[in-house]
Amino acid sequence: MSYEVPKKFPTTVVGSYPKLGNASEIIKKRDRNEISEEEFHEKIRDSINEVVKDYLEAGIDIISDGEQSREDMVVYFAQRLKGYNEGDWVRIFDNVYFRKPIITGKLERIKEMIITDWLYTSKISNGRPVKLIITGPYTMLEWSFDLFYGDRREVIMDFAKIIREEILEGIKNGAKYVQVDEPALSTRPWKEEADLLKEALDYIFKGIDAKRIVHICYGRLERLLPYILDYPVDQFDLEFKNSDFRLLPYLKEYGYNKELGYGVVDVHSLQIESVNEIKDAIDKLMKLDIIGPEKVFIDPDCGLKLLPRDIAKGKMINMVKAAKIAREQY
Amino acid sequence: MVKLWGAVLGGYPRSIDVRHEMRDLERGDSTYLDHEITIAISSSAVIGAQISSGLRYVTDGMLDFHDIFRPFLESWRNVSIAGLLRYFDNNFFYRIPIFTAEPDVEKFVWAKRIRFYKKVAYPSLLKAVIPGPLSLVLMGKNESGLSKEDLANSISSILSMEVEKAEKAGAGMIQIDEPILSDHEISEEDAELAKELISNIAKRVKIPTALSVYFDIPKKEVYEKIIDTKVNYISLDIMDSPSRALDLIESKGFSDKKPILGLIDSRRIYDDNCDKIKEIFTNILKIEKEEVGITTTTWFDVIPYNFAIRKTYLLGYCLEKLGNELNAEIINPIKEVEKQ
Repeated sequence: MSYEVPKKFPTTVVGSYPKLGNASEIIKKRDRNEISEEEFHEKIRDSINEVVKDYLEAGIDIISDGEQSREDMVVYFAQRLKGYNEGDWVRIFDNVYFRKPIITGKLERIKEMIITDWLYTSKISNGRPVKLIITGPYTMLEWSFDLFYGDRREVIMDFAKIIREEILEGIKNGAKYVQVDEPALSTRPWKEEADLLKEALDYIFKGIDAKRIVHICYGRLERLLPYILDYPVDQFDLEFKNSDFRLLPYLKEYGYNKELGYGVVDVHSLQIESVNEIKDAIDKLMKLDIIGPEKVFIDPDCGLKLLPRDIAKGKMINMVKAAKIAREQY
Repeated sequence: MVKLWGAVLGGYPRSIDVRHEMRDLERGDSTYLDHEITIAISSSAVIGAQISSGLRYVTDGMLDFHDIFRPFLESWRNVSIAGLLRYFDNNFFYRIPIFTAEPDVEKFVWAKRIRFYKKVAYPSLLKAVIPGPLSLVLMGKNESGLSKEDLANSISSILSMEVEKAEKAGAGMIQIDEPILSDHEISEEDAELAKELISNIAKRVKIPTALSVYFDIPKKEVYEKIIDTKVNYISLDIMDSPSRALDLIESKGFSDKKPILGLIDSRRIYDDNCDKIKEIFTNILKIEKEEVGITTTTWFDVIPYNFAIRKTYLLGYCLEKLGNELNAEIINPIKEVEKQ
């Protein structure tokens, strides 16, 4: 079954979705070694089914597996790579935590990590493209404790090697949209840091025949922007809503001309943005005449995993409605 | 002989008990009384870890602070909180303060805590930590209709009352945290504003006051304002960039302030090397020969609880080692009690 992605304002997701069904319990079972990795991916399919059902009902054009297998975006990979030890809980905000893993040895890929879920999601997506989403090398380093390397570039390039291997396997299986998540890059919006990631991305994306996307969020993106414009990517997927669209004039100022994943929905707010509110956000971008509607992908600021399911779905439904209206206008 | 003492800079991570209790409270599965009891027990534990490490000033761990601003914002009128923003270069986020009109105090944060924990803290002294007015203004949104300067002044008035109450309750030190002063985009005008407002706050108390700047070394123009502020101590994050920190200190000194040096890395989990710390410290001793405080680079928020406790002991261990090897006089409250 094929699906035609709209040429203007296609809608998409950043990746994660609230854990549905028994996903959390299945993750714990796998952590406790009560089930094998194969059984784990088999059992998680019920949750992926539910996520895809919501995406399709909402009308999202380019979907994801909802990252139902991933406890979080770093721990999931740390648990599957050689060179990591399990970490302990550190706070991210309010009373929300993640288990920050510890690098204790040379990092190596053992086997594929995200392909099985991606393949399954692609089978049930009614032809809609499924993003192949992987956490980037900079974020993997920044959100881990390093007790082994002591040299940031060396760690990042080892991660880059692992990520490229994973992406190549995805491409071999037909992935057309590849997204590398780098939320940590905005923690240090300096040229040296941006250059460090550029070197890694040059390596990761070399010769990759798919839409290459990098997702960055929460931080002083306006400071980072001038340093990342030459990254070897087709699209930056960025947060706008949470920061009240502060970044928009900077896109204009720096002559932004790549595709843009335009974050129009706040993933930390329980309030569902109205269709008008989202449409206004789209208008804000279009009025600046920075890029055409064929280069704008409408999506949330970040993953939706912290929201209740009904709120997450409600936000997507309104996002799709607003994009439809915008398509008629622009 | 140089006098040497130690203190943890700020808050501690939450233990598993506190995490679960706060989650239960949020879900309505626990009572506020249960919450208070858990916080009291856990705060006493972190105070105990600091006392037994021989630290002169201790914090109550600020385990219930969601971020450095929140308890204050929740105690003031005409302020609300909004979405999340990254807290400097950390994988940690704070809720953005929104000033909707001139802020006004409803209740004070520290007095009650100081009264409750000062006896637990004995023989060490309990420190009250407040956010600086400039960080509050520049890291928040001003929808009050006031100018930036007027809003900062208004906040500074509330914080002045806050520190007076804390002193009256028995605080041993007031620490004013202005992490925004480490931002290299801060203008000299803003640094001047911070200097004036912090000086005004510090003037209101007789107990020692410290201005604390962390996450990076401030630029020279800003540092000149910092050391001109009317406080007793200046606290700096040395380990984020030791060579830049030393360059700055060697060129500008500390004016008439006493330094508190952030030498224990509170954002990473490796064991700090006392010999490396000694190397840096020896350079500082060429500039300051009377009194030096040693502290953690920043709050312990971004490492796990067990590592924070371990680093507290490491702070005490390095303090003792430095004292012995450099023939310094260590101010250790427990030993002072033992002498009596």
